[in-house]
Amino acid sequence: MTGWRLLLRLGLRQDRVLAPVALAVLVLMSIASAAATPGLYADQADRVRAAEAINASPAIVALYGPILDVTSEGELAMTKMTVLYAVFVAVLFIVVVRRHTRVEEETGRTELVGGTAVGRHAPLFATLLEAVLLALVLGVLTALGNTVSGLDGAGSLAFGALWAGTALVAAGIAAVTAQLSASARTCAAYAAGTVGVLFVLRAAGDTGPAWLSWVSPLGWNTQVRAYGDVRWWLLPCYLLVSGALVALAFALRSRRDLGSGLVPTRPGPRTGSPRLADAFALAIKVHTVTLLLWSVAAGVLGVVFGMIAPGIGDLLDAEVAQSIIDELGGALVAAILSVVAVVLTYFAVTVVNHAGHDEEDGRAELVLATATSRSRWFAASAVLALVGTAWLLVVTGAGLWIGYVAADGPGIGNLLLAALAWAPASWVVGALAVLSLSAGLRWSPLVWAWPAAFLTLSLLGDLLELPGWLTGLSPYSHVPSLPADAWSWGSAGGLSAVAAALLTVAWWRFRERDIG
Amino acid sequence: MTSPLIEAHGLVKSFGTFRALDGLDLVVEAGEVHGFLGPNGAGKSTTIRVLLGLLRRDAGDVRILGGDPWRDAAALHRRLAYVPGDVSLWPNLSGGEIVDLLIRMRGADPVTSRREELIERFSLDPTKRGRAYSKGNRQKVALVAAFSTDPDLLILDEPTSGLDPLMEQVFNECVAQATARGATVLLSSHILSEVDRLADRVTIIREGKVVETGRISDLRHLSRSRIVATLSGTAPDLASIPGVHDLATAGGQVSCTVDPEVLPAVLAALTTAGVTALTSTPPSLEELFLDAYRDRVGAGR
Repeated sequence: MTGWRLLLRLGLRQDRVLAPVALAVLVLMSIASAAATPGLYADQADRVRAAEAINASPAIVALYGPILDVTSEGELAMTKMTVLYAVFVAVLFIVVVRRHTRVEEETGRTELVGGTAVGRHAPLFATLLEAVLLALVLGVLTALGNTVSGLDGAGSLAFGALWAGTALVAAGIAAVTAQLSASARTCAAYAAGTVGVLFVLRAAGDTGPAWLSWVSPLGWNTQVRAYGDVRWWLLPCYLLVSGALVALAFALRSRRDLGSGLVPTRPGPRTGSPRLADAFALAIKVHTVTLLLWSVAAGVLGVVFGMIAPGIGDLLDAEVAQSIIDELGGALVAAILSVVAVVLTYFAVTVVNHAGHDEEDGRAELVLATATSRSRWFAASAVLALVGTAWLLVVTGAGLWIGYVAADGPGIGNLLLAALAWAPASWVVGALAVLSLSAGLRWSPLVWAWPAAFLTLSLLGDLLELPGWLTGLSPYSHVPSLPADAWSWGSAGGLSAVAAALLTVAWWRFRERDIG
Repeated sequence: MTSPLIEAHGLVKSFGTFRALDGLDLVVEAGEVHGFLGPNGAGKSTTIRVLLGLLRRDAGDVRILGGDPWRDAAALHRRLAYVPGDVSLWPNLSGGEIVDLLIRMRGADPVTSRREELIERFSLDPTKRGRAYSKGNRQKVALVAAFSTDPDLLILDEPTSGLDPLMEQVFNECVAQATARGATVLLSSHILSEVDRLADRVTIIREGKVVETGRISDLRHLSRSRIVATLSGTAPDLASIPGVHDLATAGGQVSCTVDPEVLPAVLAALTTAGVTALTSTPPSLEELFLDAYRDRVGAGR
């Protein structure tokens, strides 16, 4: 454990931008939701109707979880925050834990640190300590923010605690997965997959056999009943799960060598395939497994939501229900797709981000010193990022459609088209990511920020009734809510044109600038 | 006489307020091994990146293989191979895959290349994943890819910094074979002995400027040995021997730097005086650079 104090300070310093910004966004989202809710409903009866409408829609329940106490103002206000935003909390803590453990190890920096007076367990210990600190800050600020915004104090305390609990469980999951594979990307896939499974278990439990929700810590978020009759005894369970995961992580760390994983790496081929001969083939090879995992996740989520969605028909008429789910625009499938589209845009972000790392580490230099032109290198990442995202949207749409038909839903139009309608918006965001990287390596942190920024903008825009021109800055706000609305060539064409223009500028800039 | 393969004049490259290259000249003739020396941060890698068209020069002229590296990068790169000083590999690809990829990206065919032979000679395990290689092995991957085909120009940036002495030997043979085939080599290094062994001509740079350039034999004064001897008798008159420099006598200890030609004479004189301890070391590179730098400043006065 020797040296953990220094490592903790190092970690906090590395996260001095990421952590405050991400925590601030999450807390502000919660405050905005808490503050806006009273204005949205005239009286208690109105609120109860809204809550009952949510509970009546399996698709919304699958996405956000049910409202257990329909008379509770806080539960209604925190509909999106309780589970869906808790997933974003989990993602943040996975990112933080992974970047200080497996990423550091893969790049050899842990070895550098390990050569100094630092114990074997110190890096993991310091990382988890940082996660605990950040979780505490998140919990306290959220509890305070919600109370100040007019929600019940005790309830807000429970709510802050359940977000902090989710954060700690996620940190535990990341700590364990970081021990499994020598590859930082594989570890990310394991961690994301685990959260995905927990989310699906909860979604299935909330709409079907209830015990499934109790299996998943994300299900507990609803079951705590923060703004109802609080189940305080459930809060220590997060700590128990997190503590068990952390203990497992330390035990696994003791059983492996630095730089290796528990899952042994298979030897690779002696020679390269003749097809692996240019920048495009390289980009595809590097991202194949990632794309495959994303495809499976998109497909499974699509089918699950498609099967749950048939409640949709009744709800499209219910005016009240629509006002609730309208925040991201349109009807139920559209609400799901509007979240899925932002999440899938992160595939483009990972591809672009990977290109940035290639440049930073010198792999781009290795390739650009061959007969590969800059344009080709640029195009390989840009095309894979944008085509990959569109492909994932198609997979989601196909999954929705399959699930929907399997559950005998009434005809609601072309779900494939509904999913694909989001492609041009995600292209604009992907193109912005490409442009950020083309502007120069020092702008590369922006690559991650764009989708989250636009999601936050559209959510805050609706809650705080921001002027239209401001919310209109988000490409996602220009997508028609298929299948409730009609396909719009104007939107698709306009957004595609913007994406193309951004890519052209990015390409021009990339050809002119220094590499590395 | 063919025109030089690399010709750079008055290169200037700034990063913000830092002037990395400050009017640098570099001429590499066809068929030679050209040593490119300089302390860390002197601008060796920056020069090479400009030559490869990865960095855009602020001023100056560059021709490489008869073309402009910024405009014609991809076409010119078909005819050269580059080994960076710090090789970074794709973590999930195997060494063999990366070797083949780099060869194919240069427009050559790994099947008909010397890759198998070189993998053997460098004793590289091509089935390991990129992330699992040590620094030396990562360098070997890039070296195997570079030497497998017959490029006209090899640009090697501190290529042996991670290799063990045995592998350095293999590397030296590979360079010799490449030049025997008619290839030209630009070898950046700060290991003087390596450059001494391989290079025909050298360019020494410092703070983005050329300090010395010429044939190795003309720069012989750079390879003086430093002698420190403890004597039992009186110190001999070494100052009278031409080729002895920096002479200092303190108590029973004599230290000086000696040109290689007069080393026997100096040793004979010391032996006569009764040596009890003797060390002979080549001057450190830093000393040599300081020397070269001082000489130039002195000459300018």
